[in-house]
Amino acid sequence: MEENCKDNNCIIEIIDITKIYRIGKIEVKALRGANLKISGGEFVAIMGPSGSGKSTLMNIIGCLDTPDSGKFFLENIDVSKLNDNQLAEIRNKKIGFVFQTFNLLSRSDTVRNVELPLIYSARGAAGNRKTKIFDSLKSVGLIGWEKHKPSELSGGQRQRVAIARALVNDPAIILADEPTGNLDSVTGEEIMAIFQKLNREGKTILLVTHELDIARHANRIIYLRDGKIFREEKIDMPINALEMLEKMPKLEDKLN
Amino acid sequence: MRRLFESIKIAFQSLVSNKLRAFLTMLGIIIGVGAVVAMMSIGTGAQESVINSVQDIGSNLIIVTPGNRQEQQQGFKQMLEDDRDKEALKVEDVKMIEKEAKLIKGAAPAVLSSSIITYLNKNTRASVYASSEKAEYIYNFEIEQGQFYTASDVQNSANVAVIGRTVINKLFGKIDPIGKIIKVDGKNFTVIGIIKSKGTDQFGNDQDNSISMPITTAQHKLYGIDYINMIIAQSTSENNMNQASNEVERILRRAHNLRTDEKNDFTVQNQTQLLDIVGTITNIFTITISSIAGISLLVGGIGIMNIMLVSVTERTREIGIRKAVGAKNKDILFQFLVESVVLSITGGILGILFAVAVSIILNRFTILKPTISAFPIILAITFSTMVGLFFGIYPAMRAARLNPIAALRYE
Ligand SMILES: Nc1ncnc2c1ncn2[C@@H]1O[C@H](COP(=O)(O)OP(=O)(O)O)[C@@H](O)[C@H]1O
Ligand SMILES: [Mg+2]
Repeated sequence: MEENCKDNNCIIEIIDITKIYRIGKIEVKALRGANLKISGGEFVAIMGPSGSGKSTLMNIIGCLDTPDSGKFFLENIDVSKLNDNQLAEIRNKKIGFVFQTFNLLSRSDTVRNVELPLIYSARGAAGNRKTKIFDSLKSVGLIGWEKHKPSELSGGQRQRVAIARALVNDPAIILADEPTGNLDSVTGEEIMAIFQKLNREGKTILLVTHELDIARHANRIIYLRDGKIFREEKIDMPINALEMLEKMPKLEDKLN
Repeated sequence: MRRLFESIKIAFQSLVSNKLRAFLTMLGIIIGVGAVVAMMSIGTGAQESVINSVQDIGSNLIIVTPGNRQEQQQGFKQMLEDDRDKEALKVEDVKMIEKEAKLIKGAAPAVLSSSIITYLNKNTRASVYASSEKAEYIYNFEIEQGQFYTASDVQNSANVAVIGRTVINKLFGKIDPIGKIIKVDGKNFTVIGIIKSKGTDQFGNDQDNSISMPITTAQHKLYGIDYINMIIAQSTSENNMNQASNEVERILRRAHNLRTDEKNDFTVQNQTQLLDIVGTITNIFTITISSIAGISLLVGGIGIMNIMLVSVTERTREIGIRKAVGAKNKDILFQFLVESVVLSITGGILGILFAVAVSIILNRFTILKPTISAFPIILAITFSTMVGLFFGIYPAMRAARLNPIAALRYE
């Protein structure tokens, strides 16, 4: 057992994973033997230059994609042995995915977007549903915006709808692929505050970013290059997003 | 169940957000279902009115006409020979049937012709139905005012007549015709009764432009003939029509002294057979309609498949999002299948409404009396559901098989 799984609380374990994309005759080796272990309750940031395979790795961990070789254990289940339906089940119950481009249903309002994972899970009666939606909207601070369509919300609000959707089925793991990439720095900091709060509440968070300022909110940074993990770094004093927001200029200050 | 409800809701949302496109897609189904339901209703209505007018004549009727109908249809030579048979039926045949047939309640002879009717200086041409006093109940000659001619009128070849409403309107106007003297082909007759109006038959002929008189009077005083044109007999029950027909045939063959190798010089038909003919015509009609239905539903179905394929492509990203949050392949399949079925059923329902509208308009403004029954409606809903399923399954499968990552990357 390696250092990070000492307590045998290993929630994600990746061994020698490869992924090759083929476009015609050209082969792109997106992952070439990546190894990774993440314990429950950790907040890990994955950094690396564009094209280094960050999204590919996240998609595999999120069970949206499957590796060409190697092993992937999620809560000690060998995911490579699962079929499409079982993978869908995991995406629904164990993982909340947050994307850079929000990926909300444009014709549906906030409540309907947040409700989406509940539609595809068997448990949860109608009454229960409403409280779940309310709870996750509350934890991202979107009470009062239930009836708004994505086009009527700001970028930061849209990302919070996406986070609420990721939370609604109470998954153990939140995966976020450049969640602040399309947001300004203040809004990005607000999103990071939400992730830190969720992590304090016990969620395991895995976040992809190429900005060091964002990555330093995590407890550990993993550096990816050319489809391999080549370095990792423990952060003893992560940035506290709430304190950071205090110091940041408010919008009104900028206008004055 | 909740998922079905959810899927129907999603389907309606996407339908409503693309109203014009959905409508154009459904047009094939609307027109197909509408045409079929409307045509079937017209057919049912026509069938009912034919049956009514067949039964209007009277009930459980057996009709005997001179000449061999089967042979007449076989060629020119027989037609010439059959001309001889024109005079085959006599009043005595009717008496024989009444006396001997056990399955016959009553029988009446008929001479059918047309004559000029004159009152004072006005005249008109009307159909003549000369018969015996039995015609009043066998042939449904209801008398509205006055009385029908009696057995003794028939016995004595009395110059009396009952006349229909149209004749009265043309000759008498508002004057009461009872007791007045009219001329039929120049001979004097006393009007003794008015025939209750029967309206037009299914061919549009005015059944009230008619006059009826004792058959003996018509034979001897008007037309100078000893034969009759038709025998109408009434069987004792509607269940023994065919046996009664056979009995009539046996009696007439004996009365006409036909040897076993000789063919009938008359034709016996009954209402059951007439209704069977109506049934046959209806079946041909139904087959024609079904082919139209098949083709239009095929065209409609292809339209639905086309639009569903477009919809799947347009909503690739949505499919990706749904899969990312845990939708299984079968959930996506189900969603798109429900959508195409909702599309086709909505088309079917609009088609039915269209047919109802057409029926109401036809009912009000034409002589057609379309009758909308449950059968074509159930048929229409069933078939449009099947079209939705059949043509929706391929696009839905394409949607279900999309790779989530590829779908999420789709621009
Ligand atoms: N669906 C795909 N088809 C072909 N090549 C791909 C696909 N997805 C990613 N790649 C390639 O794989 C490499 C890694 O991509 P990605 O994981 O998205 O990197 P990152 O998120 O770190 O920018 C890149 O070179 C990219 O072009
Ligand atoms: Mg990326």
